[in-house]
Formats: sequence, C-alpha cells, structure tokens
Amino acid sequence: MTIQFRPDETYRDDYTYANSPECIARAPFPFPDDEYMYSMNLEPHVSVGDGALKAIFDIDEHYISECRDRAITLEKDPGMHYVSAPHMMEAQWDLLELIMESYASDYPEYFTLEKDGTRWHWTNTLLNIDDTFTFGDPSTLPYEPMEYITRQAQGDWVLQEERDGTLYWGAGIATQRADYSLRFNLGMAWHEFHGPVPLLKETGMLDRALKFLLRLRCGHPVRRLNWSLTVNPRLDVSAESLPDWAPDRTTVTAENAGKLVYLRIELQPLHRLPRSNAIVFPIRTYLLNLEDIATNPAWAKRMHRVLKSLNQELVDYKGFTRYRDAAVEWLSQFDDGQDEEVVKAG
Amino acid sequence: MLITGIKSRPVYDQLRPLPGGIRHLVAGQGSGGRAMLRLLDEMPEQGMQTTLLYSQESFSGLDFLAELQQRQVAELRVYPSNQELVADLERILGNARMGTRLYLSGSESFIGTAMQVATHYDMNSDEVLREHAGSFVRRIWCVHCDSYTENVTQRVFQCPGCNAMLVVRDHYSRRLAAFQAVKADAEVPGELPEAEELDT
Ligand code: HEM
Repeated sequence: MTIQFRPDETYRDDYTYANSPECIARAPFPFPDDEYMYSMNLEPHVSVGDGALKAIFDIDEHYISECRDRAITLEKDPGMHYVSAPHMMEAQWDLLELIMESYASDYPEYFTLEKDGTRWHWTNTLLNIDDTFTFGDPSTLPYEPMEYITRQAQGDWVLQEERDGTLYWGAGIATQRADYSLRFNLGMAWHEFHGPVPLLKETGMLDRALKFLLRLRCGHPVRRLNWSLTVNPRLDVSAESLPDWAPDRTTVTAENAGKLVYLRIELQPLHRLPRSNAIVFPIRTYLLNLEDIATNPAWAKRMHRVLKSLNQELVDYKGFTRYRDAAVEWLSQFDDGQDEEVVKAG
Repeated sequence: MLITGIKSRPVYDQLRPLPGGIRHLVAGQGSGGRAMLRLLDEMPEQGMQTTLLYSQESFSGLDFLAELQQRQVAELRVYPSNQELVADLERILGNARMGTRLYLSGSESFIGTAMQVATHYDMNSDEVLREHAGSFVRRIWCVHCDSYTENVTQRVFQCPGCNAMLVVRDHYSRRLAAFQAVKADAEVPGELPEAEELDT
C-alpha cells in the first residue's frame, strides 16, 4: 500500500492541514444512526475493509506532520503531555514491542524490525530513524520506551494497570487530548477519570465497560469509536491550553462552519499487554471538517440529524454549546428530509 | 467540559478502631479533633499504643487541643500547621509502618495531603480510615500554572499563581490531593460564570 504523505502540514497557527479525497473516504465515520447516544460500542478489533479499520494501528497521509506536531507540543511544555509512573516500565516495553511489530507487519515498506535476542534493530524510513537498542534496557534509547515509540506513532496512548478489580492510569502520551489534563488523570481509577462524563454512571455503562475490559485477553483486541467537534484542525486541545483554543468557538457562523468546524473522530483499539498485564488504550484521532463530510452527501445528512437531535448534556460536555446551531444550519443544506442508507466506513 | 456534578470526589469513612494494629496513629486538624476524641473513647485499652498528631490550623477556628491533652496516650504531638503535621507523619511512617493503623480527621485538603503520604508508603484500605470534618473548603490545582491554592470556598476565584479567573470543577485527584480549576472566561475574556459558594 502506498500512501501519498503530506509532510508539511500544520495543526496550529496557519492550520495548513487538509485531507485528500482518499483520506476522507477511509475515515471511520462514527454515526451508525440518525440519533446518537453513548452505548457499549465495543467490537473485536479485526481487520475490516481497506480503510482505517484495516491495520492493527492505522497510519495515514498525515503521519509525518502529526509526529512533528507531537514533537512541538512535547518540547513546548515538558512534563505536561507525557507522564509515566515509575512502575510502568514493563508495560512501556510491552507497548514498544506491540507498536513496532504491528507497524512492521502492516507497513513493511516504511518500518522494519529485526530481533537478535534482546538486540533489536528498528528502522522508520518516514522519519529517517535507524536505531539498534537492547530490549529491556532503557539506557539504550534516547527516551523512555513509551515516549520513544509513540513519538513515531499517530494518536494518543494511555497505559492502564489492573489492580483491586479496577484500572488505574499508569502512563500516557497525550498531545491531542480532548479537553482533559493528563497530569491530573495520572494515578486515577476508572470511575474517577470517567467522573466528568454525563450519563455514563447512571446508565450502568461504566460498570459494564470496566467488567468487559477486565476480561480482555492478550491477542484479542477490541475497538470502539468516540467523537467530538473542534474548531480548526487543532490536535492540542488540552485542558491546559484551553485559553489558546476556546476563543475560536466564538468565531463559528452558519456561513463558515463548513470550513471551521471539524468532526474529531477517535478510533480506540484496546489491547491487553503480555508481560505487564496492563491495557493499552490508544486514541487515534481523525479530523474532517464539515466540507470534507459533505463530499459524502449521506454522511452530511446523517450528521445533520445527529447534531440537531443530540442530547443537550452531551453538547455541553463535548463543548460546542456555542456553535451547535451554526453547524446544524450549515449541514441542513444536505438534508432533504428523505431517508436513505448511509454508507458505513470501512 | 463539565464543571459540577462530577463523580470523582472521595467518599469518607467514620473513624472506628481498626483491628490488628500494634500502633495507632491518630492525626487530625482543627475541628477533626472532635472525631479524634470520639475514637479514643472507643478504644480505651489502646491508649499506650496510640500517638496523637494534632494541627491547630483551622478554617473554622475550632481547637480541641485542651481536651486532647486530657487523654492518656503514649504521645501527643502538636503542630501549628497542617503542612508540618504531614511532614512529620511522613517521617514517622518512614521509620515504621508495619502494624501501624492510621486515622485521619479534618478538612478534605488535610486528609488528601496526608493520604498522599500514606499511599506513598503503600498503606491499604484496611490500615487507614478517613473522616471528614468541618467545612468542605477545597484545595485547588490550577491546570494552567500548576500551582495549588488552599481553602477555596468560591466556585470562581482568582489564581494567585497566574492571576487568571478560575472556575473550580468538582473533579478531584487523589494523587494531587486537589480539585481541578480551569480558566473561567476562556471562551470570551471577561464573561464569567455566576459566582457561588462551593457546597461547603
Ligand atoms: C482503559 C480505557 C479507557 C480510558 C483510559 C478512557 C479514558 C477516558 C477519558 C480521559 C475521557 C474524558 C474524560 C474527561 O472529560 O475528563 C473519557 C470519556 C469517555 N469514555 Fe472512556 N476511557 C476508556 C475506555 C472506555 C470504554 C471501554 C468506554 C465505553 C464502552 C468508554 C466510554 C467513554 C465515554 C462515553 C466518554 C465520553 C466521550 C465524549 O462524549 O466525548 N471509555 N474516557
């Protein structure tokens, strides 16, 4: 598979990020219905189709630019976007292995991994990396293993350790986290870090999802989709940087919503890790503005209905109270009121 | 971003004698002295295995030192501030924590910072009890400048660290022993949410 990379895009300042038609078509569209509500939307993470659900960890034309944006964010505020409890080192190596093996098997033209005992040779031609290191010995890498490998990976990554019948936030790299603080969440238990989400606890979903995850077995990953809206193609929308990006919410009108408002899709494939028994929770983000969505009229129609009917508590939580109406109005031009099948992603 | 109605705030216990201890550390602050006295009444046999740690720092002005001084215990240690008590607790647990039972009583901020120490020494839920006392003044962590502010009673307040007007969320981290606060007028500078007393 050959990807036409777009190596010079920006996710800040002048926002030159843009999607090719192919990249739009391969996105995992998150709305199975005209109405949206939280659900136990977990399914086995098996390869489906030719799009975002094909690889174990998907990469696309934005890979190089996204890795650069991560590096900028990490350099700007050390200690804010990558944190790890000291006892997570084994899980970090597990994760490094999982990403290297997955990338090398799904994208052999860009990544290779050769193992000679604990002596590993890793090449990443997209970022011009050619490193030999000793698996298990952090002093042979320029960063901790998790930071090292996720600087070469798309999406955010969180490591959860299992203890006392729940999951604890043990480590994370999050340069594209939607409106939460990584340092604050470090060390939190499952029910605590989900505390801000409306309706989850009341519906019993939080307990059920945890139960499901505690049964997750090595080699049997599961995935789910989540979504939100963001103004501008901005990856760093952390709680910390709120003052930098929240004012953009006031700039949206029914005329410019097509360009400014981005659907932020999160593909989350969860894996149990072999040595540490930790769980990795990747958050792979796809940004499509409403104009991109509208290149598929069935998507635009569906999204119009979803946003129009969305529960106000979810609108407030996801943070687009101020511009929901503008987005709905812009999308309304694609909804003739007739029903037809919406093509699903993949 | 949800501000109120978040479910990460800790749930507290009532102090009662814990079985199996060879040494009881009873640490409290301000109006937490009342629960300390009640606990001592319930464990009259263990006086000589009991060390009291009491900080006179108080938001409400309540002080139980005189009553605590009447009790027959191995030792009573008194501190002018919660911070000094917690630092001493750290030293005590560092020297010996096997067979130790820890009882904490006081403000949320006091319990939270003392729990940071207990967690550092891997004390588990069979070994520690926490009883909240006094008003629910909050210890706040500013997400923007990484500073802490004690005894916050208002939903909206000015951060002494970065001067931003902050709104206090109900979101609590045990590791930081603090609630989170974020810029209150981030969308439109000057447009603040309504001032209100926190649920003290
Ligand atoms: C260990 C894996 C997981 C981690 C680390 C995780 C973490 C998070 C975090 C940090 C948030 C944002 C909370 C905030 O606003 O501060 C969130 C939101 C949420 N989580 Fe999870 N989560 C995990 C798994 C799941 C699973 C398996 C489900 C459901 C089946 C789920 C359902 C949700 C929902 C519905 C939201 C709200 C999303 C939105 O409206 O944007 N999570 N999660």
